[in-house]
Amino acid sequence: MSQKLNRFPWVRLVLVILFTIIAIFPFAWMLSNSFMSEKSIFSDPPKFIPDLLFRKGMFDNYRQVIGIYNFGHYILNSILVVVFAAVGQLLVCSISGFAFAKMRFRGRNLLFSLLVLTFMVPVQVVIIPEYYLMMRLNWLDTYLPLIVPSFLAGAFGTFMLKEFYEQVPEALFDAGIIDGVSSFQMYATIYVPQSVAPIATLFIIAFMNNWNDLLRPMLYISKTELYTVTLGLTMFQGQYTSQWNLLLAASVLAVLPLIVVFIFCQRYIIENSMSSGIKG
Amino acid sequence: MASKSLAWHKPWTPWLFLLPTLVGLFVFRLYPIVTACALSFTDWDLLGDPHFIGLGNYFEAFHDPDTWLVIGNTFKFSLCYVIGGMLVGLILACLIDVKLKGINFFRAAIYMPVVTSSVAVGIVWLWLLGPNYGLLAIICRHLGIRNMPNWLGDRHIVLYTVAFVQVWKMSGYYMILFLAGLQNISHELLEAATIDGATRPQRFFHVTLPLLAPTTFFVLTVAIIDSFKNFELILAMTKGGPMNASNTLVYDVYLNGFLYYRVGFAEAIAFILLVIVAFFTIANFFIKKRWARPWD
Repeated sequence: MSQKLNRFPWVRLVLVILFTIIAIFPFAWMLSNSFMSEKSIFSDPPKFIPDLLFRKGMFDNYRQVIGIYNFGHYILNSILVVVFAAVGQLLVCSISGFAFAKMRFRGRNLLFSLLVLTFMVPVQVVIIPEYYLMMRLNWLDTYLPLIVPSFLAGAFGTFMLKEFYEQVPEALFDAGIIDGVSSFQMYATIYVPQSVAPIATLFIIAFMNNWNDLLRPMLYISKTELYTVTLGLTMFQGQYTSQWNLLLAASVLAVLPLIVVFIFCQRYIIENSMSSGIKG
Repeated sequence: MASKSLAWHKPWTPWLFLLPTLVGLFVFRLYPIVTACALSFTDWDLLGDPHFIGLGNYFEAFHDPDTWLVIGNTFKFSLCYVIGGMLVGLILACLIDVKLKGINFFRAAIYMPVVTSSVAVGIVWLWLLGPNYGLLAIICRHLGIRNMPNWLGDRHIVLYTVAFVQVWKMSGYYMILFLAGLQNISHELLEAATIDGATRPQRFFHVTLPLLAPTTFFVLTVAIIDSFKNFELILAMTKGGPMNASNTLVYDVYLNGFLYYRVGFAEAIAFILLVIVAFFTIANFFIKKRWARPWD
């Protein structure tokens, strides 16, 4: 607001920096402690510079977490699940968002309201019947229960892309009609190329939601070799409560891919949240 | 519009396009909700056959003081989370709504906890807040503060500790939503108020805040929905303890359904949760209709 008239906003800047430190510090602490030996991590007064930094055995904690406790494997599992779930969600949400935005049919508003309403329902309400369904389908200990529900029931993605497709200029639609394209061509060759930005955002959102999902992996995956990284971290925490150096190294591995994706795409994510208010 | 739209596609095309979403909606949303409701009237244990026991589970739930504790926890958690998250989000948005070089860096940094995993967040806060060995305990000791509260062990505090961590994690998101609202407020109005001699607080409370009402209600809706998503954090930090002090309905469904195998009872709890969510959502909807200006 009319900042140009005022002096340089020192107070504001100091407060912003303070809040930034509060937001970043736990991650910095996690990272620094993950390079400490078990002895040094409990030292008093606390050390901020890890004792193993640039020394022999700097990556000892990581070597243990990846080598003995298989976190490298869990990360690959997570990537596999997340890519399938996210890509599936994009295909399904964009085509149904298009149908809701551009086509007229009986029951359209009712269906759309149902879809949006069910989004409000916490997953815990539906999880027991869903579990029973997965059991009967014989899908336990496969990735299908992690992929298929988020693949098919992405209400927020449908909502977001419907809103977007409604804003695409009518002229493109009319041009398509004049060219006599089929309805699938209208969707695939005219509307999809327009929506690269929201589709990219949705991909990142779906990536994050699926990466962080814990309840479903906990229920559906019992074989350790199939663990996702979030499940692996939870199980690891349950078994090695006091090995903080390893636990923190594992936590760093669990959030690192997310932070990398975030750093590269933060403009997309934030600007999209600002225009549509959707994070997932 | 209508006639043109009717002409451009075959009547069955939308259904073909919507097929995957419809399957998802019915198989993974509506069917489980209806089944959950039906199961809440049975004594099912996931193995044998379910027997109809009427309102038995609900009677049991409402006669159990623990259920009331859990319901109370859920309300307290949601209230603290919604108020805390929205307040911090609004303050952050006002602070960061400034034209400065490099402000985007701070915006992104404050947003970062939103995208990270709740389990890892829970673990690092457990480490920071731990009694004796945690960083906060050590700092307190050196400052001569003898009796730092046991953030996760004291049953009067633990729920608020978890709510605080969730607020810490999510505030950046509400900041972004509020920021979008703030940037839509026209500068002319604020400048007019300044010319009329309004002070900074007057401008905020009499111009900015009323104009922000639609955004505020949107953020409220989102925050209410988010306030029930505390399963991961509770699992990572407290497992609902000590003595159910940080147990919420969301976690209780998991406990009863998958650890105690009391599926019927768990579904009754799930339905109490659903009613509470519906209550909040509907209340919010009506308050919005009554108080907020129309969107846009």
